[in-house]
Amino acid sequence: MKKRGRGLGCAWYGTGYGNGFPDVSSAFVEIHDDGSVSVLTGAIDVGQGSSTIFAQIAAEELGIDPEEVTVISGDTDVTPDSGTSAATRHTYNTGNAVIKAVAQAKASLLTYAARALHCTTADGIELKDHKVRVKGEPSRSLPLAELVSKARLEGERFLGSDSYTARTTRVNPETGQGAPYWPYAFGSQVAEVEVDTETGNVQVLRVAAAHDLGKAINPLQAEGQIAGGIAQGVGFALLEEVRLSEGRIKNPTFSQYLIPTVLDMPEIRAILVEEPEGTGPYDAKGLGEPAMLPTIAAIVNAIDDAVGVRITSLPATPEKILAALAEQSKK
Amino acid sequence: MNGTVGGTVGGTVGGRVLREDAWGKVLGQAAFPADVRREGQIYAVAVRSPHAHARIRGLKLDEARKAEGVVAVLTSADVPHNGHGVLYRDQPVLVQDHVRMAGDPVVLVGAETLAEARTAAGLVEVDYEVLPGLFDPEEAMKEGVPALHPEIHGSTNIVYHLPVCKGNVAKGWAEAEVTVERDYQTQMLDHAFLQPEAVLAYVDERGHLVVEVATQYAHYDRGEIAHALGLKFNQVRVKTVSVGGAFGGREDISLQIMAALMAWRTLRPVKMENTREESFHSHSKRHPMRMHYKTGATRAGKLTVLEARIVGDAGAYASWSPNILRKAAIHATGPYEIPNVRVDAYAVLTNNPYTGAMRGFGAAQPVLAYESQMDLLARELGLSPMELRLRNICRVGSETATGQVLTGSVGMEECLKAVKSYLGEVSAR
Repeated sequence: MKKRGRGLGCAWYGTGYGNGFPDVSSAFVEIHDDGSVSVLTGAIDVGQGSSTIFAQIAAEELGIDPEEVTVISGDTDVTPDSGTSAATRHTYNTGNAVIKAVAQAKASLLTYAARALHCTTADGIELKDHKVRVKGEPSRSLPLAELVSKARLEGERFLGSDSYTARTTRVNPETGQGAPYWPYAFGSQVAEVEVDTETGNVQVLRVAAAHDLGKAINPLQAEGQIAGGIAQGVGFALLEEVRLSEGRIKNPTFSQYLIPTVLDMPEIRAILVEEPEGTGPYDAKGLGEPAMLPTIAAIVNAIDDAVGVRITSLPATPEKILAALAEQSKK
Repeated sequence: MNGTVGGTVGGTVGGRVLREDAWGKVLGQAAFPADVRREGQIYAVAVRSPHAHARIRGLKLDEARKAEGVVAVLTSADVPHNGHGVLYRDQPVLVQDHVRMAGDPVVLVGAETLAEARTAAGLVEVDYEVLPGLFDPEEAMKEGVPALHPEIHGSTNIVYHLPVCKGNVAKGWAEAEVTVERDYQTQMLDHAFLQPEAVLAYVDERGHLVVEVATQYAHYDRGEIAHALGLKFNQVRVKTVSVGGAFGGREDISLQIMAALMAWRTLRPVKMENTREESFHSHSKRHPMRMHYKTGATRAGKLTVLEARIVGDAGAYASWSPNILRKAAIHATGPYEIPNVRVDAYAVLTNNPYTGAMRGFGAAQPVLAYESQMDLLARELGLSPMELRLRNICRVGSETATGQVLTGSVGMEECLKAVKSYLGEVSAR
């Protein structure tokens, strides 16, 4: 018989290296003659989309399109050290470094623009829609490319290089007390599963996933992180296990080490919760790792809801579920 | 996917901007390290130990050296500084005498073609004295058990222990009217990224060593390569090409130093490329954790106390284990306010494959325990799982088990409310 159940899982995740370790990201920025921009950072896009996030941030700061920003990353001859692509840290930490570096280049640009537009202060200048313009007097403006090109001919250069360091303290090794991580990300998921009581097989039908990421700089990528996280959560909860015999891996192939395929994937409803994080770039914090965490528990709790057995050892294989059902029927 | 809130099409921040690398990946133009090659490149293959714990009594390399196409056969004697690691340099580039895990590299063979390199690798004879292994972390943490890294960690295999103590657990138990106590266990996992490790290393026209690789941290790789080979940082360039998934599995050094060493010794460009099987044997894994949880709550559904013991299997090398078990301890309560807490987390060396970073980094495993406990407590209390959580979650101003006051963005309640309707009527429990 096939029985359905729903389960809830919540999780939290302290982002960044944590524990007082200097978590530093750095970036170099140059604004070119035509108003396009290069951003150089050690932060590597490992598929999570960090380079696109940095391009969006620089573009927003300068009033241009993300396509006009080239992000050069992960080349030690060229880019500054920006730490590991890990710890859900690049959007927050390196994003902040990019903002700071862009702000430097932008500051000298605004100062030059104030003179060129006969405005008394750089604070009166804004960059919007590829234009440099006086706030409150939009007709007093120049195309960004024209202004930068003219300025460069006069010997001006618009460069930036800066670093951002996350806030963290070391925990006391005797008591664990301290403020090891900041910010924390939160998430909550509901999984609906169907358990086959004959075979013990579990199919995850639907997952609703709500994640607090501060601000979705790119909702498309955030949804991608959530989908990928749920896939890995399904693998963790139901399928994957490195099996050892005397320390040797018995299943070092994808025919024996099973990861979810598209057929194992549930229908996903991704809900992006934006609780602004004031220290983040545009109030953003990270999402990468947290996306998979609630899935594990939501599935295990849904199995219990469906068939009344509590799986405490992962993965929840058909064998374990059948054994638990057999145990249950004895009672 | 449907149902997303927030964001506009196009635009910059907040826009649904297409990834800059999307078309290159879709059209197959993106170059992964297996795709990059260089004129005159040779191939290197590592000979890895099939034993989890052994002493090397001797090596017979003559047959391999004489084999067709072989350019060089390298051993630990060829490595200037034979160690790497993110926290301790406890992992040899090539094992000299003490094999600590199956998959440890012992000999490196370079040849004109991949087939010749593999054939020659098959001719290498390693004389192993197989030693009894430690495969159970609970066993390995006992006193008097042989230590796997005495030169670094002394007589113990416990590389890390963190207690997290808050409030007064005796008081918490006195207040508790309902208790749930269970053991949980998570398994060893592989990152299963789709692209097995590959690297191209060569000496460029400046005499600098260039290493093209898919990594999570080029600057770290550069430091470890420079250290192992005795070079200055500016003499080593690590250049990242497209990364086909990482998830933590590309944080430790895999093939980088071996390929660099072969290139430096032969002055030939060197390609290394793991098979899937080699990939399984050579990168870190997710820590299996055993977690004992005892949680108490009042009849009114307020958590009063948590006591937990978490043991993580670090495998043969420390990698990030101390940081991972620290993260497990700090996150052990889940996103809930619990006034009285005692958590002890341990990372223990064994002769199993070494474990390290993987998405979630020690904050993943305890989710199984703390969220199962919440559902079990809810049942005991006759509350819905949603209601019990709402009565205990962290909000702005909450204090965590480490005494940290959450000052800013704390969206737990909003997340719970956002999924509430999906629990539906089915979920009576």
